[in-house]
Amino acid sequence: MSNILVIEDDDIMLKAIRNILRKDGHEVLTAKDGKEAFEKLDNEQYDVVITDLMMPYANGLEVVSRLRANTEKRHVGIIVCSSVGNEETITEAFRLGADDYLKKPIMAGELMIRIRKLLANRSSNLKLVTKKK
Amino acid sequence: MWKDLVDLLFQAYEQFSLLPLFIEIALAFIVIAIVATIVAYGVIMYKRYRSYVHEKRVAFISPIIEELITEQVLLNENLGKDVLIEEIEFDQAALANKVYKKPFVRQILIDTLIQYRKNFRGEVGDLLRKLYIDMDLQKDSFAKMKSMRWERKIKAVVELTQMDISISDVTILPLTNSTNPSLRAAARNAYIQLSKNEPFKFFDIATEPLLPWDQLEMFKIITTTKDIAIPNFSRWVSYSSNKSVVSFCLKLIAHYDQQSAIPAVMELLNNKDHYFRADAIACLGKLSAEVAEEKMVRIYNHQPLNCQIEILKAMGSIASGKYLEFLKTEFLYSSNFDIRMNAARAIIRHNTQHSRLLVEELMEMTHEENQLIIKHCLNPLIKY
Amino acid sequence: MGATFIEYASWFFETTVFIYGVGLLLIYAILAILSFANIRLFLRKESYTDYKVIVGSPLAPGISVIAPAFNEGLTIISNVRSLLTFDYPNYEVIIINDGSTDDTLEKVIKEFSLVKVDFAYDVKLTSKPVRGVYKSSDEAYAKLLVVDKENGKAKADATNVGINVSAFPYFLCTDVDCILHTQTLQMLVKPIMEEEKKRVIATGATLRMANSCEVDEGVLINIKAPRPLLARFQELEYIRSFVLGKMGWSYINAVPNVSGGLGLFDKEISIKAGGYDPASFGEDMELRMRMSRYVYDNKIDASVRYIPTTLCWTEGPTSVKIFMRQRTRWARGLLQLMLAHKKMLFNPAYGRVGFIVFPYNFFFELLAPVIEFLGIIYYIFLIYFGLVNWPYAIILLIFVYTYSVMISTLSVLWDQLTFQYYKTWGDVARIAAMVFIEMIIYHPLIVVFSIRGYYFQLTNRKHSWGNMQRAGFKKSKSTLPQSPTTQAT
Repeated sequence: MSNILVIEDDDIMLKAIRNILRKDGHEVLTAKDGKEAFEKLDNEQYDVVITDLMMPYANGLEVVSRLRANTEKRHVGIIVCSSVGNEETITEAFRLGADDYLKKPIMAGELMIRIRKLLANRSSNLKLVTKKK
Repeated sequence: MWKDLVDLLFQAYEQFSLLPLFIEIALAFIVIAIVATIVAYGVIMYKRYRSYVHEKRVAFISPIIEELITEQVLLNENLGKDVLIEEIEFDQAALANKVYKKPFVRQILIDTLIQYRKNFRGEVGDLLRKLYIDMDLQKDSFAKMKSMRWERKIKAVVELTQMDISISDVTILPLTNSTNPSLRAAARNAYIQLSKNEPFKFFDIATEPLLPWDQLEMFKIITTTKDIAIPNFSRWVSYSSNKSVVSFCLKLIAHYDQQSAIPAVMELLNNKDHYFRADAIACLGKLSAEVAEEKMVRIYNHQPLNCQIEILKAMGSIASGKYLEFLKTEFLYSSNFDIRMNAARAIIRHNTQHSRLLVEELMEMTHEENQLIIKHCLNPLIKY
Repeated sequence: MGATFIEYASWFFETTVFIYGVGLLLIYAILAILSFANIRLFLRKESYTDYKVIVGSPLAPGISVIAPAFNEGLTIISNVRSLLTFDYPNYEVIIINDGSTDDTLEKVIKEFSLVKVDFAYDVKLTSKPVRGVYKSSDEAYAKLLVVDKENGKAKADATNVGINVSAFPYFLCTDVDCILHTQTLQMLVKPIMEEEKKRVIATGATLRMANSCEVDEGVLINIKAPRPLLARFQELEYIRSFVLGKMGWSYINAVPNVSGGLGLFDKEISIKAGGYDPASFGEDMELRMRMSRYVYDNKIDASVRYIPTTLCWTEGPTSVKIFMRQRTRWARGLLQLMLAHKKMLFNPAYGRVGFIVFPYNFFFELLAPVIEFLGIIYYIFLIYFGLVNWPYAIILLIFVYTYSVMISTLSVLWDQLTFQYYKTWGDVARIAAMVFIEMIIYHPLIVVFSIRGYYFQLTNRKHSWGNMQRAGFKKSKSTLPQSPTTQAT
């Protein structure tokens, strides 16, 4: 079981992703804008963060950038999920450190597979880290 | 009693008719203005009441609809288990709820399903479509199609397109030539998405401009619809006399990287309209059409500024390295700032050892403003 | 002999005023009808329009958002943040620090990790010297560009710098302290993209008062009608001027002015027309006139469009003193503009601008306060000599009053038909109440301040709108929004 934060300003999408992920056995928290997202990121540890790009208060790229800049949280898996599909934005997101970029409309199955992969990578990375220690 | 009243009115009228004309007009307008004001407030109150009721209803029905979609579609047990979508059955009891018979609920249901479809494709998207069909919502959409109001027709076409329901050619084709530009655009989009034979047929016959706003939707449909046969768009570049169709095709050629279209696009370099030529040059740049470089350099001196800038940009993305000298000359000796800026960018975009040396060399030999241009272009923080 | 002259003069005066009055009333009636038609068309289109398509499209045209800031240290961070959250895929935000004397620049540099960069740009429009250009070292803020310049004592000067450094073919002109809707860019660019033959050189949308709205870090939480009386009058005035006025004019492509608080412009035409004029008191309308001149002189078939949606909330002055300065300035701007472009009046070379926009503004905006003022003096004169036919005078007064109440009520109705911004009946009632007392309280103020402005302009008095005043505004938490039309009567 893993802890996931979903940041999304479209209410329908937010609830839908939450429901799907819960069914898949994850612990899901939600944030409906950048402000709430930063609060929730400060308060808890997550394994994966799924974020939209355009929302009130702060955009998703800031979320990615802040997470990667934070030494404690830089290992969090980040999936950007947005309707923006232009090349510059996608490369920007990856350069800032997003692990994946899903363009809406998304495939629910694909999202779950990517999350699983991220979690798997993450746990193997963690093992590596602990072994080295 | 009645007689008195009639007498009174009659007297009043007599009095009134004795007044000067402008006072009569003023009095008449006072009455009109007071009535209009009262009516206006009446309408405001009525409208607010109506939307209040509507909001209440939506607030009541939305959770029910969301639950339906969540239970039947998002969390459907059969998803992800290799069951064909067509074979998944919904819980008939849930679908039979009486509220789904009311027209306004059905409309909200359609709108909500479309919302979900905009967020989900794949199995979930297909299952949403099945729910739409199983609840006979396409009948509502088709009914709207018969409306006399064009915005209702458009809404119907949009709904059917979003839900991927085919509309017969007999119904949709006349609409693609409608005199209403918005209806025309919606019908064309539907036709592209839903027609199995010749989705791009109307590119041949369209005489009205394809508006930039409509191109957005069309571009999206062409690039995201599954199993659409992408033709070679150079066909229309060569033969269409409709400028907006040609410029739209240029964008599609660039998007699909249709290398075979290069000769047709190069033909446009001889076109009289310079905005058009600029579009063609930009397209060649995106295609990295090395074969076009020679011609672009040849015609460069006779072009207006916007085309010259596009040529420089294109050379930056083609980056064959053959014309660095040309770019260098433009950078050093052009009197136009934008030309120097784009020449510098083009050189830098080559990003070869040779080009990097050239940049260093230029940095040493040129004046302060040009040095600033180079620094600007080299800075990764400045994107535009 | 003397008596006949007076009779003749009063006959002349009364006839002129009568024709003028009838003309004005007719224009408002026509505007009400045109705006209704236009709003209806807009709503019909809106019923099926999906703005998401432009958000996801690689074909969205690029827009540079230009927002000058002067001594905005208190709110600059949240304002910049909110500008960075538009629902639009292809834009940049250019903040012009107009020589602030507070910590505006330092705050922005710190918050967004800005570094000074070597930035090359072509000085297409002249302005006060630029001291530095900054970009963020954090890629999450790649859209942000900050320019630090010497104070030019005019928003025009700062905006011109923004146009110089901008990268995209369109620019949005706004103020850093305006609160903009997240959909602003997509909604304003749509009229440009759906015009069939004309080139749309500017688009605008409705502005409203932010005074009593709940705002959190630059994000609008709850829209409310203003509580302070003066701001409430202005709200009504803005509704009438935008929803009824501009929407009506837009229908026949005769929009007089794109407000400086919010407008999307074609950059090429703006530059060719010469950009904003720092010497103008009404630079937004002045630029619109010059753009028109340019397109007519160069035979470009152009249009200016408005949408009825409110996309911008701005703080309106709540003290009479500041309000007076604002309106005096607008009036000066209008007079200055009319004199500078008088060649356009009834000039067939300028089409609708010469025959509709310009004459309307000349006769019914510029001259209205003067004629009203003279009318009052005339009446006082008549009263003094006991020449007033009281019943008729009162009937005429009631006529003017009820008519203006009707027009204002209609604009409130049109606004309510478009979008019901106010959540409660109380808010509607608050605005509706203004309809009835506006004529008595607010309107006389506008007449007097306009006359004051004309007087200052004609006597060429120095207007001290600049640092001092803007600083003053900040203290009272208000700003200097640009004219909605220059005034709305």
